[in-house]
Amino acid sequence: MEKHSRRAFLRNTSMAVGVAGAVAAVPGLPAVLESGGPQAAESAAAELPKGAELSEPLVAHVRDLTTGEIDLYAGERQVTYRDPHMAARLFKATR
Amino acid sequence: MSSHREAPEISKDPVADSTDVYAFVSPDAPTTVTLIANYVPLQAPDGGPNFYEFGDDVLYHINIDNNGDGVAEIIYELRFNTVVGNPNTFLYNTGPIQSLADKNWNRRQFYSLNRQEKSGNQRRTTVLGTNLACPPCNIGPLSTPNYPDLANQAVHGLPGGEKVFAGQRAEGFYVDLGAIFDLGDLRPLEQLHNQFGLNVPELAKPAPGVNSTKGANVYSIALQVPITQLTSNGSSPTNAGDPSSVIGVWTTASRQKVSMVAQNNGQSTNAGPFVQVSRLGNPLVNEVIIPMGKKDYWNNQPPANDSQFVQYFQHPELSTLLPTLYPNAFPNLAAFNATGSPRGDIVAIFNTGIPSGVVSGFQNSGGSKQADLLRLNMAIPPTTSNLSNLGVVGNDPAGFPNGRRVFDDVVTIELRALAGATLPLVNKSFTADAAVSQVTDGLTTSPTDVSAMGTENYLPTFPYLGVPYSGFAVPAS
Repeated sequence: MEKHSRRAFLRNTSMAVGVAGAVAAVPGLPAVLESGGPQAAESAAAELPKGAELSEPLVAHVRDLTTGEIDLYAGERQVTYRDPHMAARLFKATR
Repeated sequence: MSSHREAPEISKDPVADSTDVYAFVSPDAPTTVTLIANYVPLQAPDGGPNFYEFGDDVLYHINIDNNGDGVAEIIYELRFNTVVGNPNTFLYNTGPIQSLADKNWNRRQFYSLNRQEKSGNQRRTTVLGTNLACPPCNIGPLSTPNYPDLANQAVHGLPGGEKVFAGQRAEGFYVDLGAIFDLGDLRPLEQLHNQFGLNVPELAKPAPGVNSTKGANVYSIALQVPITQLTSNGSSPTNAGDPSSVIGVWTTASRQKVSMVAQNNGQSTNAGPFVQVSRLGNPLVNEVIIPMGKKDYWNNQPPANDSQFVQYFQHPELSTLLPTLYPNAFPNLAAFNATGSPRGDIVAIFNTGIPSGVVSGFQNSGGSKQADLLRLNMAIPPTTSNLSNLGVVGNDPAGFPNGRRVFDDVVTIELRALAGATLPLVNKSFTADAAVSQVTDGLTTSPTDVSAMGTENYLPTFPYLGVPYSGFAVPAS
């Protein structure tokens, strides 16, 4: 029987996380997303277009931890985003 | 059943579960074709207080292929929206509903209808209607008095000459589910069944069929469209031998990829692009041709990819089972099965249409592309006398598998085809077994019986499927 390593687990397991509108449902996630502290939060806010707000659910599905592939779902759209660091941080937030 | 609860996943999602598709040249308006796609199967008419409705979160399509490539050149798309008048009562209606605008009706459903046309890689969308009203469910004489008139108000004429109706109808499909899914029992032939050695006394002699859908309702999307709006060149075909006279029809239902249930109100929200979760062209394909492990996948696939399933049509499981279940009744079929030869007739009926030269004077093949489409040759006029519920097999070229009319006995037609009735059309050396002509699930009295047991209420005009059974009159058994 194949031995299950943590790396294999990470490679084979996808994870869906609701962020933004549903962020409060994942304990610890806000803290992780703001792990850079208040300054980082301010910096992130500055990246948003003026007047940006969530009028619909924004859902992130971490498809592959090793490549950092994250599918983002908003409205009827799907965008695939690659950010291994973000994927790792989201994963840690769910542990 | 035709496609009621036919796959594991969709059986848990009735509002997206396509059950039957019909396509026929309208008998009372022969310059038009009527397209009907049914959803929400096996409705007990008294299923209140939350009576049945379409899914606001489901994308419904009726798809038309008019050039034989298995891809939709025309799509009719419907989206529904439910409006609650008073959230502080548990009642569907607080008094009699006498019109579609009646304030006593507390939970209404509306829809938009658009038509998409493929042009190269682009799709052009035309909005055909918005805020089109559905009728209420047929509840009973106090809530929905004069229901036929009420439902007629929900037949909407559209500027292009189309008609549309979306709402509850009496189930028109008939089948003896209870017997067929009891290990292939056909009550009229059950004395011939091997009974697995159990020798069940009540199966010792032939018995009439039992209509499992008797008294059940369904939800229908019905469209009546001028033929000139369905052909690739805008003409009204008159030459039945011309492949361009054939359209392929199927319905699909799709859901958004992500669904979340909110913790604070129990309602779900959705996100992402729509993904197909249900499809239906020919009756009974996913039900009895596609194996269990592929059913959900089949529902997800476009017809243009159907060549991947061809082995299930070439070697249908039910054709293999019949000689075993009914020993000595189908020796010729058993011998043919033993050769391992493919069933070209079954592939033609379901996947390519019947090409010219197979059935004298008839064809409904728009091309050789393998795709499960309900193919209708629109140049063949509706039959007005000597109708046969056996369609083409019964020498009535206006019936299944040339499209499908509401009364066609598709179960018997397909059972006989699978038993070998149509194999001589493509294999001249094969002779169908004598028992084939007796194969039926016993719900019609003869091929000319077009009002099968429990479905006597077909209508002569649009939307053709009958007035739904009232909850008051037909409680769940």
